This record gives sequence, structure tokens and C-alpha cells, in this order.
Amino acid sequence: MRIKLEKIDDNRWIIPKTGSMRVPGMIFSSQELIDEVLDGESITQVANVSTLPGIVGYSIAMPDIHWGYGFPIGGVAAFRMEDGIVSPGGVGYDINCGCRLMTTGLMADDIKPMIRDIVLALYRDIPLGVGKGGEIRLSKKEGEMVATLGASWATKQGYGNKDDLIRTEERGVMSGADPDLLSERAVKRGVDQLGTLGSGNHFLEIQVVDEIYDSKTADLFNLHKGGVTLFLHTGSRGFGHQICDDFLKRMSENPQITGLPDRQLACAPIESDAGKRYLAAMACAANYAWANRQVLMHLAHESMMKALGTTPVVLRMSLLYDVSHNIVKMEQHNVDNRKALLCVHRKGATRAFPPGHETLLDIFRETGQPVLIPGDMGTCSYVLAGDYGSMDKSFGSSCHGAGRTLSRSIAIKKAQGRSIQKELEEKGIFVQAGGRHTLKEEMPEAYKDVSKVVDAVHNAGLARKIARLRPLGVIKG
Amino acid sequence: MERDFSYTLLSHTADLGMIVKGDSCEGLFRNAGMALTDIMILSKGPMPGVKKEISIKGNDLPDLMVKWLSEILYLFEGEHLITTEIVVNQLSRSSISSTLITGDFDSRYHEVLREIKAVTYHQVDVREDSGIWTARIIFDL
Repeated sequence: MRIKLEKIDDNRWIIPKTGSMRVPGMIFSSQELIDEVLDGESITQVANVSTLPGIVGYSIAMPDIHWGYGFPIGGVAAFRMEDGIVSPGGVGYDINCGCRLMTTGLMADDIKPMIRDIVLALYRDIPLGVGKGGEIRLSKKEGEMVATLGASWATKQGYGNKDDLIRTEERGVMSGADPDLLSERAVKRGVDQLGTLGSGNHFLEIQVVDEIYDSKTADLFNLHKGGVTLFLHTGSRGFGHQICDDFLKRMSENPQITGLPDRQLACAPIESDAGKRYLAAMACAANYAWANRQVLMHLAHESMMKALGTTPVVLRMSLLYDVSHNIVKMEQHNVDNRKALLCVHRKGATRAFPPGHETLLDIFRETGQPVLIPGDMGTCSYVLAGDYGSMDKSFGSSCHGAGRTLSRSIAIKKAQGRSIQKELEEKGIFVQAGGRHTLKEEMPEAYKDVSKVVDAVHNAGLARKIARLRPLGVIKG
Repeated sequence: MERDFSYTLLSHTADLGMIVKGDSCEGLFRNAGMALTDIMILSKGPMPGVKKEISIKGNDLPDLMVKWLSEILYLFEGEHLITTEIVVNQLSRSSISSTLITGDFDSRYHEVLREIKAVTYHQVDVREDSGIWTARIIFDL
């Protein structure tokens, strides 16, 4: 059944509250993008989320909304602590999947002749995952340390340095993690996957800053036209996937909230034992993901130095920021003109706190939080900064990427007889991928135009454009 | 070895699904397990077979199917074991017991085609029509 939307303005559409919906739905989009999702199931998923107990304001979707499990991808939902729920499906299987952007002292024109060598070096030195594992084997004790200490475990082992932590959401560690709650399976899946990239849409890209929209903020972010950046997208690997799977099954086998419109919306009251246990287990996965990105950044740094035969002083690689786009956080927000602690679910959505937000570090207090939006491997990615509208409109949230428009099987069919690698090389992008289907499944046409998605959040006042990054080299799992 | 099962990949915008069939419910579960391995792994050589007994309980057939495939996925992801043959010994609407032939993953002989994060309950369906059993399962990639 097609749900009727009401247009509020050029960037917002409402799903009116009907039936068992507790609040209306709110979709941030543009006329062009909204037309693409009108007939899809993702709109129904926004409405389904609005039926969950304790939801506040709106069930929100970002312009990159697409069909997920239970919650749509690109969804944001905030719940009251006293009567609200927490749902593993509102985070997703890849807990704390996120992005990390590193700036460098290199100029693209200087490294272009070596781009093939750099990509091959990174492809050799960045472990992709199962079957192409890394050096790290975690003992039980070490696994518990990673799960509780997050990125700081990695810096203590010599992966990067502790200055990186202040440029990571939550400083790279979520409190309340309890490894005793994890299944043996989750622990086992985590043993040899730390410091691995993973496959699918996960990647490491060498990019050039090719457009600046806000020069003052770009300067503060150390982004300069023609400069080289590294963009990393990955998450908590099998460790997080297993934790989500375990808790989804537990919550659906012993449901505390019944009558759900979708089995994947399984949830538990935030203050219940089941809810608290999920949050403590989720924190373990969030910490694992931050440690993973910290390790991978270090490996990329070492690999780049070797490939270029240079030193840290010349390379000057430093972390701009690390954002999470699959997570639940307890945050203060205005509800009916009063501050309230809410349980904010972001599934395929990025936190986008505006300038002046009290939780931001001094370095971002003036600019707003960096928001990192990856596009497909053939076009571009964006750096945005949280804007003033985000707190009132979207619980301080923005989009997370382009969002797929073609299924993987259709993408493979469309790519038949073509060499995606060659096509990208003709555009000046050198690509190496692990899986034989990866390049076809991840080809640029499989994604929405990230520029349209970013324009929609910019125009809605959720996050403002700072710079555009164009890929020069890509490593995919 | 020639394949004695078939499946169809299902279009799903974000992820990947499959439609798999069997001429009995036991055959369906066996074929679904074999298809999952086929989606994940390309095997290029012989491998030693080690028997593994697997028993699982579920609330109903769709729940059992998700748990069954999750088990095979875990064997690969957690134990690095590839399932090469399946014999379903007993099956009811709420339980399955089976013997799996498995082998250790070896990157010299095996190629990971796709990493699957999880087997989801999203639109899961197991049904019988005129003696043909069909299941639809969507994986999170």
C-alpha cells in the first residue's frame, strides 16, 4: 500500500499519524529523491518505527533512505528513557559502522604518477577479512580489553597516537561495555577480524580535495584544494554482526513488546534487563569498531610511507574525525522546550551537532562537528559540518551516504561484459578489489547521486557543505 | 563435483536474498545450506571432509530456517569451516538434526566471494505448494 506523504517545504515530507502510529513520520529529501522512494517499502518502515513505545517527535528518515530490516537505513528515532525502547534493528548488524577521514601534507599532482603503486601497496598491507586476515589474534583477555577500551586499546598498542582519540566520536570509547554478556560466538568471530576492512561497501580511498564550499571551516579542518585525503569506511566486523544477531534472536524469542508490525523491530524497554544488556553488549561492538578503524588508519599510514619512501613529517597524515553511523546514544535534546535525556537510534545516519554544541571539543566548537559522507567509488565524497537546524529538526543528525538504488543482482547484470575497473581507470581512479563480484555490485550506477543527497541535507539546514573529495585510488574488500 | 541444488538470487536494494527449492522439507533445508556456502565461497580444489553433527530448535519453520543458516554462516565466520555436504537426519516444524561434512578454509583452494554479515528474518518465508518446498531468505551483506 502506498503511503500518502504531505509536503511541508522543498526539503521535508510528513507521514501523517494514522492507525497505531504514535508520532508522525518525517522524511528529509528533495522532490527528485523523494520520487525515487515513494513506492518502496522504506516509507512503510518509517511508519512502522513510529509505532514503537516511547518514541519522541517524529520517526525520521534522511535523504539516503532505503529499505533496511525493521528500521529503514537512513533512519533516526529517539525514545524517552522512562517508557521508551531500544532495538538492535535500530542500529543494524554492523554496529558502529562509520567513517574516518585523514588529511595529509601531500598534493594530488605530486602523487598522481605513483597512484597505482600506492593503491597496490595499500591493497597488500590492508587485510580484507576472512580468508585474507590480519596479523592481530586477540586472546580472550585482549578481546575484553578491546571491547571495553575501544580506540585507546589500539593507541596503547602503538596503532596511531592518543591525539587521535579526541578526534573520534565519544573519544573512541563507549562506557558501560560488559564483555561478560557476549556469546562465545561473538568472541570467536572477533578473534581475527580486528584490523580488517571487510567487503561490500566498505573501502579505503585516496582522494583529492576538488571543491571547497566554506573556506574558513575547510582551513580549520586542514582541507585545501588539491590536497590528498584518505577516507576509511568500515565497522565492527563479525564481532558486531554476531552481537546484533544474538540480541535480535533473544528479544524476539522472549518478547517484552508484542504486536510489532515487523519481526526485525524486536526491542525491549530501555530500563529493562534485556534493554540494558543489549546496550552493554552494543557498547562492546562500538568499541571494537573504533579500535578497528584506529588500527586500519595506522596500517594505511605505514603502507603509504613505504610506498612513497617518505617520512611521517612529509606525509603529515592526521585524523580529521571519526564518525559512527550505526549506533544508539543517550543524548540531551529539547523536548517541549525542556532538556531531556533520550535514547537516539541512528541507523545509516550520522550525528551532526552544530557549532556551539556543549559536547563538542574546542576544536569543533566554532565549526560544528565534521560529518563525513561517502559516495560511490566513481564520483565523490563530502565533508560537511553540523548545522544549526539539526538539533531541532533531526535530533542532531544528518545522512550517511549515497544509498543504493540498484540491488546487487541487478548491478551484476548491468555490469555484464563490462570492465568496471577499466571504466574507472579511464576516469583516473585506480581500483583494487578482493571479491570477484565486488566491483560489479559496487559500481557507481548502483548508488544514488551522493551530491543530491548532500544538497538535500544542506538545504534542510541539518549539515552544511564544507568540501568535496574525488577518488584517485580505491581499495575494496 | 556437479551441483545437485539450485537457487535464484533475489533482488533486494540493500542486500542479497535467495529463493531455494526442494522436493521435500528436508531437501529444502539441505539445499538452502548448500546454497549459502555457494554464495559465500568458490572452492577450487578437493578438501578433507570432517563430520559435524548439528541440531537446532526453532519456533516454526521460518525461524528454524534462519537459525539453521545462521549456524552454517557461523561455522565459516567463527570456525573457518566450509560446509560441503549436508544430510538432514530428522526434521520437524521446530527442530532439525543433521550431519554436515565440513573442511577447513584454505585460501589456496578457496575464494571468498561475498562476506555475509547475518541471515535476517526480513520477509523470510518457507512454504509448500503441490509437493514443492520453497524458501525465501534475505542476507545482510
